[in-house]
Amino acid sequence: MEFTVKSYRFNPEIDEKPYYKEYVLNDFPGMTVLNALMKVKAELDGTLSFRRSCRSAICGSCAMKINGITKLACKTQISSEIEKFGIIKVDPLGNMPIIKDLIVDQEAFFDKIKEIKPYLLGKKDYIEDDFKALKDGEKIKQPVYYKTEFQTLTGNNDTPNCILCECCYSECGGVVANPKYLGPAALAKLYRYSEDPRDNDKNGSRLVNGSKPAGMFDCVLCQACEEFCPKGISPVKTIVKMHEKAIKNSITFSKGAKHIIGIARSIQETGRLDEIKVAVDSVGISGILNDLPVAIGAGLKGKMPPLRLKLIKDMEDIRVAFKDLNLEEKHD
Amino acid sequence: MLKHDVVIVGAGLAGLRACIELRKRGVDAVIVSKVYPTRSHSGAAQGGVNAAFDENDSWESHFFDTVKGSDYIGDQDAIEILTSEAPGNILELQKMGVVFNRNDDGGIAQRPFGGQSFPRSCYYADAVGHMMLHGLFDNVLKYDTKIIYEYFVTSLVVDNGKISGVAAYDIKEGKFHGIAAKAVLFATGGYGQVYSSNTNALINTGDGMSVAIKAGVPLMDMEFVQFHPTTLKSTGILVTEGARGEGAYLLNSLGVRFMSKYAPKAMELAPRDVVARAEQTEINEGRGVDGAILLDVRHLGKEKIMEKLPQIMQLSIDFEGVNPIYEPIPIRPGAHYSMGGIKTDNNGRTVVEGFYSAGESACVSVHGANRLGGNSLLDTIVFGRRAGIDIADYIKNVDFSKFDESTVKRDEEIFENIKKSAGKERHGLLKTELQEDMRKNVGVFREESLMKKAIEKIEELKERAKNVGVDDKSHLFNTDIIEAFEFKNILLIAEIIAKGAVMRQESRGAHYRNDFPERDDEKWLKHTIAKLNPKGGIDFDFSPVKITKFKPQPRTY
Ligand SMILES: Cc1cc2nc3c(=O)[nH]c(=O)nc-3n(C[C@H](O)[C@H](O)[C@H](O)COP(=O)(O)OP(=O)(O)OC[C@H]3O[C@@H](n4cnc5c(N)ncnc54)[C@H](O)[C@@H]3O)c2cc1C
Ligand code: SF4
Ligand code: SF4
Ligand code: FES
Repeated sequence: MEFTVKSYRFNPEIDEKPYYKEYVLNDFPGMTVLNALMKVKAELDGTLSFRRSCRSAICGSCAMKINGITKLACKTQISSEIEKFGIIKVDPLGNMPIIKDLIVDQEAFFDKIKEIKPYLLGKKDYIEDDFKALKDGEKIKQPVYYKTEFQTLTGNNDTPNCILCECCYSECGGVVANPKYLGPAALAKLYRYSEDPRDNDKNGSRLVNGSKPAGMFDCVLCQACEEFCPKGISPVKTIVKMHEKAIKNSITFSKGAKHIIGIARSIQETGRLDEIKVAVDSVGISGILNDLPVAIGAGLKGKMPPLRLKLIKDMEDIRVAFKDLNLEEKHD
Repeated sequence: MLKHDVVIVGAGLAGLRACIELRKRGVDAVIVSKVYPTRSHSGAAQGGVNAAFDENDSWESHFFDTVKGSDYIGDQDAIEILTSEAPGNILELQKMGVVFNRNDDGGIAQRPFGGQSFPRSCYYADAVGHMMLHGLFDNVLKYDTKIIYEYFVTSLVVDNGKISGVAAYDIKEGKFHGIAAKAVLFATGGYGQVYSSNTNALINTGDGMSVAIKAGVPLMDMEFVQFHPTTLKSTGILVTEGARGEGAYLLNSLGVRFMSKYAPKAMELAPRDVVARAEQTEINEGRGVDGAILLDVRHLGKEKIMEKLPQIMQLSIDFEGVNPIYEPIPIRPGAHYSMGGIKTDNNGRTVVEGFYSAGESACVSVHGANRLGGNSLLDTIVFGRRAGIDIADYIKNVDFSKFDESTVKRDEEIFENIKKSAGKERHGLLKTELQEDMRKNVGVFREESLMKKAIEKIEELKERAKNVGVDDKSHLFNTDIIEAFEFKNILLIAEIIAKGAVMRQESRGAHYRNDFPERDDEKWLKHTIAKLNPKGGIDFDFSPVKITKFKPQPRTY
């Protein structure tokens, strides 16, 4: 089958402005979008630039927009895209400055990962302390941790499986609204370490840090992160769990936390809860907080055209939408 | 020019593990990598990492299994270190935050792996490499380490047998830099891209080995290339040995578990060289299914597949269009791992003072002629750690040596010349020709006539490589020129593999010769050492194998 790849092209060293270039290729069984880009590069046009490494959906290098939807190129089959769209149109990720063609600047994204202190806290550093090379006949005793202690970390779609591919970040409404927002991947990582039974975060500093401005309360609960994650992770669910934890622990100094409490109250008072058909797991604030993403998601959808993708590309639209929601005045 | 006490090139497991040792001792060590650390190939490791923890297991048994797996050409002093330090190393990882699956009794869960006489492979579902890579990288962040990423190292700078630093190309800016250092560690990984149908990342182009041999550092045992028995038929993407560890069957077109013929005791869990040859024999003798063999996990049941092999399930669906819960997966052998590499001692030291290597780029040698599954991740952390500690010690008493900028200038000129070249050859196409040729002629089954053909082809490609041009002439993020340079690296590695393989007239581990089907301890119980001569040709030499405890025996499973 013959098909067309239409790629976003921009090399600021040479080009005055971005443009699209088309390449015609023949497919082979099982061909992926990454295979197609590599074929273009090898055979037709070596200037086409993109990142890639593992080609098996584990290194997180090749995320891009394919026919408007953020995905991993190495995991996306040509045949299904052609069936749906008739073309392979590729664009760079959103929410990050473009360096060249499909390559974006990830510095801010990685800085945010570092900012959440992605490691076990409270452990003294050790040099050679109890490392042991075994001698004849010796065995080593290992500390015991029960399966249940790692329950939220060892499931199929749990946060440690994050490959830092930036699919979520590219589509995150929170980053659109506030470019400084930590974003879904960093917060999911924060959650991952806060759930680790070995973490010794005595004074709750993780949640306090995570609650600072541009932290977890800047999440606009649009759920894009869950929708676009190629690893089945739902950062937003972890964020809501952390909201709950923070509020329960009275870490409510941030504006965001106050909003959330306000919205929850308002939903409680106006009874809109029924209207938007959210499932409430438990009574009281925690149950409602759990369902907030659904509530807000529904709220946003009502005010916005159905195709969120198009919307998120357009910063102004989303800002207007938020203004319309008018959370601040209503609930502060 | 940049200047740091220690430059670690490579941010896979070996590089990161070494880095942690250095940083926690307060050493000014930086990481240089051609990709962001978490994009390194270590993240793709699926199955497990070996350590003898169980009461009924012993590190001595792991020691013996590894020696036997190596077909007796692994150095036993090194293997003793690997296996006796294994449990301690796993516990260190655990302290650093790495998560392993657990048993009901609270210990680390372990699964059987090929060639191991006890289930001793620790795992995290089927994504243990991912877990370890991210866990270690997070620790590197903890020590606030400077990460110089998307820098491509092109040369070592050496002064009178002592390391001075490296030449590196900043991919984003398109500029060359010298980086001066008292010690340099290469943890640059393997060269899977020498072969078509391989399990490796596209970035695994043997850069470190190629740069090292050009700087006069010998490579060892390069003819030993591991072919993994279970890679997806159409893409070469790996299906972990953990699948067989969990009980998967290998079937031929007759629906027969053919391993009963080749390894009646170990069956599917025989070592990789044995299984890969068995599969290829079945295929060659007409009992394949469209040039493939079937890997069947259906009898494990949906629940176990989803719990223990979720990534395998997803990869089969995404890349082969097969859901293993309902259908067997078509697989075939694919190039996977490099047993050979930069010759080092047990602390990662090489012949150049201050220049170290660890991980897949190094050859200590613990894997000999055939690596056992789960021993390579172990290699990266054990010897990465040891190299880190040794370097921290070494740099205390040395100064920076003279850094000769001409190497950097020379590499800059090479790049500029490729850019200026009007040559019509496309490196992308030459690479495919080379990979196909290596698969066909220096693959699972080898013989002199075929390998001679491969060498002729390599000579031809070397000529044609002189006419390689690039389309992209710009400075900014020029991946075209990087690929051109990487092609030259794999071409050199291919030549060393092919020539070493022709020379070794015996069959041992992964190196199987149709024309010399027996192991020949009298003539060939020795390591192959490769060096470049001034004319650019390859000279071979040999060095003895260290045998401490286990005398060579026939190797049956
Ligand atoms: C699919 C797959 C599954 C595997 N599963 C297992 C398993 O279950 N158990 C097991 O024990 N082993 C397994 N292995 C083997 C194991 O994963 C590797 O041998 C090991 O991870 C290698 O680690 P490393 O640190 O040596 O190198 P890598 O992780 O390959 O890292 C190399 C680093 O060097 C850098 N680099 C390379 N060249 C340059 C250059 N020119 N300039 C700058 N930087 C450079 C790269 O950017 C990268 O950061 C598997 C391998 C594969 C392919
Ligand atoms: S739900 Fe929150 S974190 Fe997820 S994409 Fe939306 S704003 Fe970002
Ligand atoms: S959470 Fe998912 S989408 Fe976001 S970076 Fe991680 S793997 Fe990618
Ligand atoms: S190339 Fe690694 S995720 Fe696509």
